[in-house]
Amino acid sequence: MSELTHASAQKRLIGGQLLGSSQLVLGGILAVLCIAISIAAPQFYSEANIIAILRQCALVLIVASGMTMLIITAEVDLSVGASLAFVGCIGMAVLNSTHSLALGMLAALAFAGGVGLFNGLVVTKLRVNSLIATIGTMMMLQGGVYLFTREAVQNHNQLASFTDLGAGYVGAVPVPVIIAALIFVVAYVTLRFTTLGRYLYAVGANERAVRLSGLRSERLKLLAFVVTGLAVGVAGMILSSLMNAGQPTAGRGFELTVIAAVILGGTSLLGGRGSLFGTLLGVLVLKVIDNGIIILGWNQDLQMVVPGIVIILATYLDIIRNKANVR
Amino acid sequence: MSVDFLHPGEGAPIDTDVSALEMRGIGKRFPGVVALDNVDFTLEPGKIHALMGENGAGKSTLIKIMAGVYGKDAGTIRMRGREVDIKSPRDSLKEGIKVVFQEIALISEFTVAENIFLEGYPTGRTGSIDWKKIRADSAALFNRIGFNVDPAARTGSLPVSQQQMVEIARALAHEARVVVMDEPTSSLTPNEVSLLFTVIRRLAALGIAVVYVSHKLDEVFEIADTVTVLRDGRHISTRPIGEHTNDTLIQDMIGRRIDNLFPRQRGAAGSKVALSVENLSTAKKLIDVSFEARAGEVLGFFGLMGAGRTELAKAIVGYDPIASGTVTVDGQRLAPHDTRTGVRLGIGLLTEDRKSEGLMGELPVYQNASLASLGAFARLGFVDKAKEHQAVQDYVDRFRIKTPSLFQQIKNLSGGNQQKVLISRWLMRGLKVIVVDEPTRGIDVGAKSEIFALIDRLAGEGLAVVMMTSEMPELLGLADRIAVMCEGRLTALMPREEATQEKILNAAIG
Repeated sequence: MSELTHASAQKRLIGGQLLGSSQLVLGGILAVLCIAISIAAPQFYSEANIIAILRQCALVLIVASGMTMLIITAEVDLSVGASLAFVGCIGMAVLNSTHSLALGMLAALAFAGGVGLFNGLVVTKLRVNSLIATIGTMMMLQGGVYLFTREAVQNHNQLASFTDLGAGYVGAVPVPVIIAALIFVVAYVTLRFTTLGRYLYAVGANERAVRLSGLRSERLKLLAFVVTGLAVGVAGMILSSLMNAGQPTAGRGFELTVIAAVILGGTSLLGGRGSLFGTLLGVLVLKVIDNGIIILGWNQDLQMVVPGIVIILATYLDIIRNKANVR
Repeated sequence: MSVDFLHPGEGAPIDTDVSALEMRGIGKRFPGVVALDNVDFTLEPGKIHALMGENGAGKSTLIKIMAGVYGKDAGTIRMRGREVDIKSPRDSLKEGIKVVFQEIALISEFTVAENIFLEGYPTGRTGSIDWKKIRADSAALFNRIGFNVDPAARTGSLPVSQQQMVEIARALAHEARVVVMDEPTSSLTPNEVSLLFTVIRRLAALGIAVVYVSHKLDEVFEIADTVTVLRDGRHISTRPIGEHTNDTLIQDMIGRRIDNLFPRQRGAAGSKVALSVENLSTAKKLIDVSFEARAGEVLGFFGLMGAGRTELAKAIVGYDPIASGTVTVDGQRLAPHDTRTGVRLGIGLLTEDRKSEGLMGELPVYQNASLASLGAFARLGFVDKAKEHQAVQDYVDRFRIKTPSLFQQIKNLSGGNQQKVLISRWLMRGLKVIVVDEPTRGIDVGAKSEIFALIDRLAGEGLAVVMMTSEMPELLGLADRIAVMCEGRLTALMPREEATQEKILNAAIG
């Protein structure tokens, strides 16, 4: 008997985690969006367009995977956009001088991971609030990239493998989408099935309780910062491949898109609550809106306005739904 | 603003035939919950009326209706025979009801005098605020309650006990006929409590009806004239205090008898030293504290507020840094300020502050229980959930933890059940020494005895239990040996048999 109730409760939970909470609202929004746009513009469902949307999603999803982990620990990183641009320039410069994709990639990861580590240390050791700390880092990186290069770092080698990173395909699927899918799966499995994932939620839910339980809460947060940084490293290289150059001006506002997707996906800024599946939905919603505005031929400035409205609306719906649940 | 409060006895004569406040058939429902069901509550002028009940009994809903924080769904409220309609806190104050909540609602950046006259500053001829008068009137008010607070002091800089006095002075300034004190002693020292009681008696002598909300039995017996008990949103009894004994009051509150709050099941303590603390000092509080705790014993630490019990608890488990001294668990020295080695060696803290240091409120029961022992359920970093859930289920069954499922968010459990989950967290890890700090704080009378039984069982299973408490009955009922602290020092250490309340209190005062 108790076995039975146990099993059914577990089933409910799994269903709940996949489709419960804000995901349901979000899934609904996504469905309505897709239907509405496809009625107005049938080309929405063309293979080319779907692939374009997925490619658009890839960069955001890569960084949002790390960011979800970080926000679950109740911290945030606003420097990812600035870091993205810097990483692209550095990766491209190393690539130019070494002719090696591996070394370029390594440099990008080392730099972006280093930025994450720096943010993490400032937050956990100096105890500076992460919002403030990473705004500081963002400013340093935005200015710093111009100390590094005044203009775009052009691609001198045209290595085929580097071009494939952003523009290549495996079968019909773009390479960035595959990379994003891999990172997403790894992050998903980590959060859902491993002790590390559980500890990340625990730190966000109550850091002191975690410390009293004999765990090193600071290291867990540090790790989440570094992981976010590494994700930026990957995304930065893909972006510079897509643009065929390292652009110091790239990535403006990128951090907002990433954080918006994570929050939209139901991850709480207060920590301890959230899911990567929600983040995936959040990314899709934002990018489908982007795409819809373009294929409907609307004013492109709405690309910022509409997601802003959606975020407020979705969060509000979430609050209403939570209240209904409590009662 | 009227000034007749300055002249006690010159106001309207107190009519003792008419109730100060009469609530009849009060009902209040929240979605899914009936918080109050047909509750009657009548207050007589000049009497102190205790309102008791377990958490969730409806006490706070009732006083929030008086205060105008909640509207009622059913029933009537009469003030001195006249039916009133209280729709907001402002209405409540206007009708002469002042509720002093546990979380004091003063503006901490304002001075005492400014807070007292917050609802209407007296003004001079030019319309400018008459500060001189405010100061003088404030001083007069304090004079009347027989307690002096500097009217010019910044409110936030005062201890809670004095902020309460400011609230009481505000009540007088509004000519309140009813003053409600909500759990007023929860953060006061014994000295402050007796001062507060003097002031409360004075309010009663002025003809004010005082409601005293508490679940501390000894206080209620000391101060109340009448006791009303609520349970599950219903009125259970209203009786003069003289008709009650400890047992009848508890029985009314929990609906059943508790024969023995402290059933001792365990045998005598062993002789093996599990924890040894030597010359422990911290930068802020502790001075040269040394003691040993043996496997199988409950070592109770008593002390007044600020004696350093919580500081000691946090220092010995490695949560807080220490300045000097050593902590040894089971023969191995602990690295200072490092909970990790502490937990590895087998010492853990059951915190006094469940919400901010113990619970992960948003997370389900099972994750809260397994936090410290998750590694034991993992293979290559992956959690074996079936194994984990089974282990947690075992504890839920063993300790009779009331939860709809393992997946319930722990914030939705009662305090007693939350505490049991946190105790499970440590037992699943396997400890040699458990430090419990105020283990029954915020826990209902009924659940308290279960926590006591659990602590008894822990010691019975061979753990050394170090218990920090400010509750004398808890100390005398559970401990094998009693240590007393005063201002960061250990001032006495005696076997239970030699301990008396006087001896303990003397050592606590230092």
